[in-house]
Amino acid sequence: MSKVYVVYGLIVIGLMGTAQYRGWRLMPVNETRTVPKSVRDNPGSYRPVYGGFWHVSGGK
Amino acid sequence: MPDGTGRPRAAVQAVNCPNCGAATAVRTFGHAVNVVCQSCRSILDAKDPGVTILQKYKEAVPVDPLIPLGTRGTIPGWQPAFEVVGFQVRQILVDEVAYRWREYLLFNPYHGFRYLTEYGGHWNVVATLRSLPDGDHLPGDSGIRTYQGQDYRHFQTATATTVFVLGEFPWQVRVGDQVAVVDYVAPSQLLSAEVNADKEVTWSLGVYAKGKDIWSGLSMPGQPPVVEGVFADQPSPYQGVSGRMWRQAALLMALAAIVWIAHLFTARQQQAFRQALVYNPPSTQDASLVTPVFELDGRASAVQVETASNLANQWMDVGYALINNDTGQAFEFAEDLSYYNGVDGGEAWSEGSPAASFTLPSVPAGRYFLRIEPEGERTGKPVGYTVTVVRDVATSVWFLGALMLIVLPPLMTSFRAAAFERRRWQESDHATGKSSDTDKDDDDE
Repeated sequence: MSKVYVVYGLIVIGLMGTAQYRGWRLMPVNETRTVPKSVRDNPGSYRPVYGGFWHVSGGK
Repeated sequence: MPDGTGRPRAAVQAVNCPNCGAATAVRTFGHAVNVVCQSCRSILDAKDPGVTILQKYKEAVPVDPLIPLGTRGTIPGWQPAFEVVGFQVRQILVDEVAYRWREYLLFNPYHGFRYLTEYGGHWNVVATLRSLPDGDHLPGDSGIRTYQGQDYRHFQTATATTVFVLGEFPWQVRVGDQVAVVDYVAPSQLLSAEVNADKEVTWSLGVYAKGKDIWSGLSMPGQPPVVEGVFADQPSPYQGVSGRMWRQAALLMALAAIVWIAHLFTARQQQAFRQALVYNPPSTQDASLVTPVFELDGRASAVQVETASNLANQWMDVGYALINNDTGQAFEFAEDLSYYNGVDGGEAWSEGSPAASFTLPSVPAGRYFLRIEPEGERTGKPVGYTVTVVRDVATSVWFLGALMLIVLPPLMTSFRAAAFERRRWQESDHATGKSSDTDKDDDDE
């Protein structure tokens, strides 16, 4: 059991080091399609895939 | 339980039961004091040449020993072969519930008697002690007894009644015999004292044994009885394991900390782009814009986009797309900023934050620009905000996650070890939630 645990712990640390080095993130990020270069001329034509937001309406 | 260390001359070597006439062999020669007829279960006086009947069997249902009388073989901890010569069933009453266990008497002409006890599939190899434990020769109802440097913790005090006997015994045995039994445990050993009506005390030491080892040593067919529950001196499968795992966990956490600190020191945290912008919510013009192209160099690593604003009592969402200028590959994300503050009843309050950040994972090197689309309340005031892009940012979330994963196994093992001990002591006089009346009554005596 203890040897298995040490191996498990080393794997965890290895994954941690790799994740830190590669800059991994727990939650996925939208990596979208190829964007045409024309977006630089007309930024408003771009349609993002993310949805609406939830807002704090403010006040106490 | 006397062990019959004396070597009296054999009075009889085979007896015919005066009750039923059946012949019963005597295996312990001169050691036998009582013999139980294997046919009618009458208890006979083996020392009397006339073989008088001491007690007739009255139970309706006889008990068949799992290990038959006459079985020979080795038992754990003892190399010479022993022979099963006697069998008895004894019971204690706890809260008017009878708990019965079985005792096998084993004999070797050169090593005397040993006992095998079995309860719920748990076995103990028992030998009477040649020397007394430290302290009073009488057992107590609580505390610790020490024998040969080992501390034994009080487990249970009860009155044991013999309810069935078979075979031969080197002491006077009767169905209905009663003795006070006091058990102390130091897994895997059980220190027991039996006190009879004449206050004679017999100490014995039991060593826990596995049923399969008993079966193997005695060449028994089939399988031993299935183990039920946790026995008093049953060794914990977690004994020493959780402590060892915690020590290993400390080393692993130290190693993880070293890797994390190295990451903090080696992460470049290089500012790749920074631009101050203004968003005017009431404007009817399209607020979306693109930034100049900037370089993200080096290996694929995390990129953090920070938004810092002068928001006050309003909200603003900023939709981002980090777009590779050469390939068109885009990473989309958004940051939600809202900040409100004020004074209520003389007490200052604030809610939310005027700044936010988002970390993109494993962004390859290349030339990028940001497409930014701010959005806010139409009635809001103009908001100044600064966008900063940082390459190869350090993060602690993986380190914290690794710590949790490292701690989890020893934590679970500790919980299981504690649960095992709870189950062990639940059967004792010291179970959690059990009344201590017994102790008090005995103390009063």
